[in-house]
Amino acid sequence: MRESKIMFLQYLTGLLILIFGGLHFLALSFLTPSPDKQLYVYQSATNHTLVGGALYYNYVLEIYKNLAWAAVFELFLTVVTFHAFNGFRIILSEQFSSPSAGKVISYSMLIIGLIVFIWGTRTILLAFLG
Amino acid sequence: MTVQVILKGFGEVIKEVTFRIRRYDPEKDTVPKYMEYKVPVKKGMTVLDGILYIKEHIDPSLSARYSCRMGICGSCAMIINGRERLACQTQILELNKDLIKVDPLGNYNLIKDLVPDLSKLFNNHKSVKPYIIRNDNPPTAEYLQKPEEREKYAMFTECILCGACLSACPTMAADDLYLGPQALAQAYRYIADSRDMGFEERLNVLDSKHGVWRCHFAGACSEVCPKGVDPALAIQLLRGVLMKNSFLGYKQVPAPVGKERPTVVEGLKVLEEKIKESEKK
Repeated sequence: MRESKIMFLQYLTGLLILIFGGLHFLALSFLTPSPDKQLYVYQSATNHTLVGGALYYNYVLEIYKNLAWAAVFELFLTVVTFHAFNGFRIILSEQFSSPSAGKVISYSMLIIGLIVFIWGTRTILLAFLG
Repeated sequence: MTVQVILKGFGEVIKEVTFRIRRYDPEKDTVPKYMEYKVPVKKGMTVLDGILYIKEHIDPSLSARYSCRMGICGSCAMIINGRERLACQTQILELNKDLIKVDPLGNYNLIKDLVPDLSKLFNNHKSVKPYIIRNDNPPTAEYLQKPEEREKYAMFTECILCGACLSACPTMAADDLYLGPQALAQAYRYIADSRDMGFEERLNVLDSKHGVWRCHFAGACSEVCPKGVDPALAIQLLRGVLMKNSFLGYKQVPAPVGKERPTVVEGLKVLEEKIKESEKK
C-alpha cells in the first residue's frame, strides 16, 4: 500500500479516536448504571458539589452487554490499534532508517498490533457474552 | 570635475568582535573543538569577510567554502549564532553581538572546519528528477506557459541549493533516508510546472516511507531559507497532490508546444551530435 493511503488512514483514525473515545468516555461517565450515581447536589445557586458516580466493575460490564456499545468499543479498539502501531512504525522507521530495519519494524508492528487487537476483541466479546 | 563621494564610517574599525569557530580536521582531530579569534570589524563587513580576515591574518589553516560573495551561489551557508545563514549576507554589526559563534551546517558529514559534505543534499535533489520530463517527441519549439501558470511554482525556483534547510530540519537529524525539504520543494516545483509530465516517474520516491509524509511540519526549513523559499508550504502542497492521486488520480496536462523554430530544431541536432560524440569517447 502506498504511504499516502496509510497516512490517510492515520489521519482518519486520529479523527475517529476523538469520536469513539468521546463515546467511550460518555458511556463510562454518564451511561454506566451505578447505584449511588448522583451527579450534583445543589446546595444553592452558586454552590453545588459532585457526589457519587463511582464506577463499579460489574456495572461497567453491564454496558458491554449492549450490542451497539460493544460495537462502538470494538471500533474504538480497531482505530486505536491501527493509529498507535502505525505511529510506532513511523517513529521507529525514522530512528532506524536502513531499508532492512524498515521491513523488520513494519512486520513486527503488524504482528504486535494484531496480537493487541485480538486480545482486546476477546475481552470485549467475553464482556458482551457475559 | 571629479565628484568625490565619502561614505561616512566606511573603512574605520568600529569594534573588535570575537569569532568562536568550530574547527575539525579529520586528519588530526578525533572530535571538533572551538577556537576563538579577535577580528577588527569595519562597517559593511560580513561574517564571511570576518572568516577571510582570520584566514589571511591569523590562521591560514581555517577552511570555509565560498564563491560569489553576493548570496547567489549558496556556498557559504553555515550556522551563525545558532541559526543557518549565508555568511556573505550576514552583516557582523547587524548581529549586534561581541561574540559570533560559527558552526558548519548540521545533519551533514564534515569534510573540514566549516565545510560540510553536501553529497546528501545533491543526491536527494537528483533522486526527484529536478528537470522537465516530457513523453512526447523532442521539442521543435518552446513549451508555452501562461504567467499565472508560472506563479504556481515561481517561489520554488529561487532555491540556490545552499543546504540550510536540511541543516535546520529536525526529521533530517533523525532519519538518514529522508528526502529533506530541498528535494521535496523541488519535486513540487517540477510537478506544478505546466510543462512537466514526470509526476509518475517521481511518485515512487515521493510517496515512500522516507518521502513527503515524514515531514513533521516544524517549519524550520522555511524559517532559515536565505532566499525566502517556503519548502514547508511546498511539502504541504505536494501532500495534497499525492493524496489526490491516491484516491482520485492526478493527471498532468502537457503544455502546448509553440510555433516551430529552426533554431530549436538545429540546436537539438547539435546537442544530439555532441551526446553521440561523448558516448563514443
